[in-house]
Amino acid sequence: MSQIVTLEQLKQTLGAKLKSGARVVAPVLDGELASFKEIADVEQASFEPRVCMQNSIKEFFFPKHETLFTFARKGNDVELTDAPDFDVEQIVVGARPCDAAALPILDPLFAWDYQDRFYQQRRAKSTVVTFACTKSDAHCFCSAVGGAPDNTSGSDALLFDLGDGSFEVRTLTDKGKALFDGKTSESTKSGAACPAPVVDFDVKGIAGWIKDNFSSPVWETISLRCVGCGACAFVCPTCHCFDIVDEGSYHKGRRVKNWDSCQEAMFTLHASGHNPRGTQGKRQRQRMSHKFVTYPEKFNACLCTGCGSCSRACPASFGVRPCLEALNQEKNK
Amino acid sequence: MENQLRNAIRKLLEEKTVDVAIGYGRVGVGGAVGAIFVTNPNDVDRLVWNSECRQNLAVHLTRPEIKALGKAAIVVKGCDARAIVVLANEEQIDRSNLVVVGVVCEGVEKATANGENAGVLYEKCLSCLEHAAKNVDILIGDESKAAALDEKNAPNAKNVGNQEKLAKLRAMSTDERFNYWRDQFSRCVRCYACRQSCPLCYCNRCVADKNRPTRIDTSASLKGNFAWNILRAFHLAGRCVGCGACATACPAGIELDLLNLTLANAAEDQFGYVAGKELGAAPLIGSYAPTDKEDFIR
Repeated sequence: MSQIVTLEQLKQTLGAKLKSGARVVAPVLDGELASFKEIADVEQASFEPRVCMQNSIKEFFFPKHETLFTFARKGNDVELTDAPDFDVEQIVVGARPCDAAALPILDPLFAWDYQDRFYQQRRAKSTVVTFACTKSDAHCFCSAVGGAPDNTSGSDALLFDLGDGSFEVRTLTDKGKALFDGKTSESTKSGAACPAPVVDFDVKGIAGWIKDNFSSPVWETISLRCVGCGACAFVCPTCHCFDIVDEGSYHKGRRVKNWDSCQEAMFTLHASGHNPRGTQGKRQRQRMSHKFVTYPEKFNACLCTGCGSCSRACPASFGVRPCLEALNQEKNK
Repeated sequence: MENQLRNAIRKLLEEKTVDVAIGYGRVGVGGAVGAIFVTNPNDVDRLVWNSECRQNLAVHLTRPEIKALGKAAIVVKGCDARAIVVLANEEQIDRSNLVVVGVVCEGVEKATANGENAGVLYEKCLSCLEHAAKNVDILIGDESKAAALDEKNAPNAKNVGNQEKLAKLRAMSTDERFNYWRDQFSRCVRCYACRQSCPLCYCNRCVADKNRPTRIDTSASLKGNFAWNILRAFHLAGRCVGCGACATACPAGIELDLLNLTLANAAEDQFGYVAGKELGAAPLIGSYAPTDKEDFIR
């Protein structure tokens, strides 16, 4: 027997959460653009099966812009005020498995040499309800990096669209169980995800090539078309680099944490004017090495979930998948 | 037309008129079109020309990695060609050291969120009057077809496509319009894809990257996002050619082309100036005429 919930029941569950003061994040459709947004009313949410989203759920755990503390001059002193704790319950619903899978990958990073309370509090307070994929497109390659259209990693509950206005609910954690407790009914129906995307390259093999070919001229040639815009990093569910800056005036202001991207020249520009990653090829090599070599070596997890958001967003038709394919060709030469 | 293009580029490479040809090829996921850099005449068959050639390749002309490849030939649509004119007029490129290969463009199609053809033309194409690229060295395609398309668009060029969308925005109350842009800018992640995709955003150090002192907030807060997007639009006033590369590149789907069109309209209405129309024209912001209107000074 399986547990199912109708769309109406799902909306009621979320509606009750909103009423209780919880923050609910769901896919919202604005014209043709679908993005994850905090909603004020469940009717704003759109639960149609969808491959492409304008953003990932990352920003609800690691916001694009976040205040760390504020400062104000008081006479000869400076008064510092910590940013408030994140102490509201958060339900993120409608995540794709490749979005949710990014969270356990990022967890060790934000709890490594520095305990990032901002990320950790959001994680602790959040319940992630994921929809198993019903379709994939040519950009998808989750199957190449250990994922799947019904991957459970990072999710508290995994829902399967039964196509009749109801979902099979598989609760995976206590948080998931608590959210759907008493909300589901028993059924003989069972959901299934779409077939895994087909890939014809071996990521481990390519990672080995990346490690051994730091000085390959291929980095420069494959990166010629990259304009260094960084859109790939900003839509990526796992890219997590940030910049810390002070904003405001001499008298008062705040220290903030802002998303950053290794694809931009400024990222490594030294005060002397020297840039150790002075070309787009070097920046692309950094991105791929970090995702497939250094991060796995350090945290035992590949920093890519195969979601394909980078190549969908890239104005130059580049991104991780085309890059992996180009490197694979080079490796097999 | 594709063959005509390939033959022209092959000849340029074989005769060593140029060292590299910047054109379109099927390089992305599922054969998506992106820039390719052909140096060997035997590789010209990789070049394609079709309604998916969305990018403005002129963005590559000022990049050091591309300049290092030597003298270039570049494939351009009508709108892209205007960007090259501005680059030359602003002395960013040596026009005599570049071979501009224009194509007759019947319009480029929008892409869906996953890069497939959406089956509709970009708004900019609905008002296009340069189906045959101007100020080029070689033109590929049927000029009479281009002239017919220009003629078809001409009567409505000022009130269709982006102009129509802009007119709707301008008809809003100030509050409504502010809310519209607030919603748009709230999505901005400050990736600077707009800047990086723009052929005319060639500053070595963008004002957004200046940090001694910081000129505008780098935060993707509403304040920072308003500052950045408005600043960029103003910096492109009288310079933007309306190719729409910024809006196409924006991962947040912000209608940046409308912002730029507002200022392009102002340049035309107030000063009769259309950026990129005339090779050798003085930049609008860098020149004046005794007949310039002064009623903007209050």
